[in-house]
Amino acid sequence: MEKASGYDTNAGKVIIEEHLGHPGIKATTLDYAKINDEMLAMLDKPHPSYFLLLLGFLLAFGLGILSFAIQLDVGIGFSGISHPIAWGFYITNFVFWIGIGHAGTLISAVFYLTRAPWRTAIYRSAEAMTVFAVLTAGLFPLIHIGRPWLAYWLIPYPNERLLWVNFKSPLLWDVFAVTTYMSVSIMFFLLGLIPDMAILRDEAMRRGKKLKALLYTTMALAWRGTNHQWVHYMRGYLIFAAIATPLVFSVHSIVSWDFAMSSVPGWHTTIFAPYFVAGAIFSGLAMVLTVLIPIRAVFGLQDYITNHVIQSVSKVIIFTSIIVGYAYATEFFIAYYSGSPYERAIFYYRPFGEMTSWTLLGDNQISFPQIAFWLMVFCNVIVPIPLWRWKVRNNPVAVWIIAALINVGMWFERFNIIGSSLQHEYDPASWGEYWPTIVETGVTIGSFGFFFTLFTLFVKSLPPMAIMELKEGTNPPLRNSVHKETDG
Amino acid sequence: MAKFTGVWGTFEYLDETTETIEKVRNEGVQPTVISPCPRHEIDHALGNPSTILPWIALCFAALGCFIGFSLPAWTASDWVLPVSGKPIVAIPPFTVIGFELTILFTAIHTLAGIALLGIIDSFRFPIPRGAKRYPRFQRDRFGIVVRCDEEKLEQFETILKKHGAEEVHIEK
Repeated sequence: MEKASGYDTNAGKVIIEEHLGHPGIKATTLDYAKINDEMLAMLDKPHPSYFLLLLGFLLAFGLGILSFAIQLDVGIGFSGISHPIAWGFYITNFVFWIGIGHAGTLISAVFYLTRAPWRTAIYRSAEAMTVFAVLTAGLFPLIHIGRPWLAYWLIPYPNERLLWVNFKSPLLWDVFAVTTYMSVSIMFFLLGLIPDMAILRDEAMRRGKKLKALLYTTMALAWRGTNHQWVHYMRGYLIFAAIATPLVFSVHSIVSWDFAMSSVPGWHTTIFAPYFVAGAIFSGLAMVLTVLIPIRAVFGLQDYITNHVIQSVSKVIIFTSIIVGYAYATEFFIAYYSGSPYERAIFYYRPFGEMTSWTLLGDNQISFPQIAFWLMVFCNVIVPIPLWRWKVRNNPVAVWIIAALINVGMWFERFNIIGSSLQHEYDPASWGEYWPTIVETGVTIGSFGFFFTLFTLFVKSLPPMAIMELKEGTNPPLRNSVHKETDG
Repeated sequence: MAKFTGVWGTFEYLDETTETIEKVRNEGVQPTVISPCPRHEIDHALGNPSTILPWIALCFAALGCFIGFSLPAWTASDWVLPVSGKPIVAIPPFTVIGFELTILFTAIHTLAGIALLGIIDSFRFPIPRGAKRYPRFQRDRFGIVVRCDEEKLEQFETILKKHGAEEVHIEK
């Protein structure tokens, strides 16, 4: 992001003027070789504590597999979902993980188009997070349907049943939206990796590691870094960013229409698409900070992921927190203003429980949606408020605690939407209670184990930061031309 | 691949690289430049080369959009599922599928286009084996590859050396 940067034919030299945007990294203390070597050093043999951490995540993942195996054996009835609450923890997890997957594309595509240079150091990890989160999310509809071996019925192909899928159903839109998002995220991730694979290939060749060299040569797609390749690559990257931007907003909008297209009280609202998208960005960025702040501390990456980067992400979190808080308030106002007794009832039920009791201190028992509601409000509206202060944003530990709580709050927000409306629909005769069973809890823990296992493996097997873009973000080596340096 | 005849050199500094590019272009030869990261300065010195990739992306976006609308329209007509007198072929719900397949087709073919155009360019603008094996181009060095006739080898070797090349190699 330089002003008037380029080769001046008249002057016969390179002119680089001051940066318009903050580069995020400490550009004044880094050079190409240093960036290269430090990033490659991150892939060296890990400390034993790494394996301990990995084991912990694998155990959590194993618990999820065991729980799912029990459900497969016994049947979907072993979960807590039953009439009238057909959507419980599994769909909550699906929506939550899809939301987490929004941050990567937001950072790599939207912030690329809006020229936010502080994204450089964090976008690779955020993109990896997107891929892993969407993979995790994609498992949940399969787990939820009870008979996952029939999931291929969702694919439109000529079949012996002489049926086609119903393209007018939001659930099928979801199939297309999520698979497209997963495919584009994986391709975007792999595209960004190509130049870095060439770096790893050359390093493996230099060290005489033939197997690694062969693997990286394949992944580098004959990359040499010629100007011809760069022209195609950079234009292709721009196209990817341009198409991924509407995609990232569309995916969670479509997920929200799974609910909004129905006539269930609390779901059937036009605010759902922007509300879900804002929530997705909010939770995704919180997860980025939850993951990257410890990585920054462990690997000593303060020159790359500077406090400026954490501050910038925190500012977007504040912004989305306001949108989410406003959406909560709007939902309540519209429920009141609509005059619909069913809408009013569900929005009373969410914070205060049963309609029969008008006091918090009566015989009214606490229900799961009540816990979800108050945790949601506390974690998503109250907890981010300290981020308005510069001192808090500049303190990575404080930011990490806030980000972790936001993750908790966003999970419960998803449950608040999904679980409560189905418990209290129109007819009191069909009202019901939902509490998750041990199987659903196990699968939920397993999903976190799956996500963090993949991410932990990624950190030590692929460059967690885009080496090429870090080099692009630092000051280039110049012998004669002078550039005005920027403070990192 | 055709035998390479020409000169290639390595550079530590960006400004020396761009100066050399200009001198080489003044001699009527378009060099191939290797760099560890993309730099606008190199593009400017090379005369801002372009790519047909956006046209590939656009064509496949149109194809994806067409399939995205026609597949649901055809399947809805093949297996008619009337609901409350609503249109059988309905544009608003099919827009979602149209949009998603537009994006998907664009992404797949943009990635394929980058790979394919890169392969085509490796034949159109070959670089010598020595330059391919030079280990620092991906790390911290710039490279200029000049493809020329044997009688001009010495001339380009002089230009590269004069403008700060660390190493200059002649390939015959």
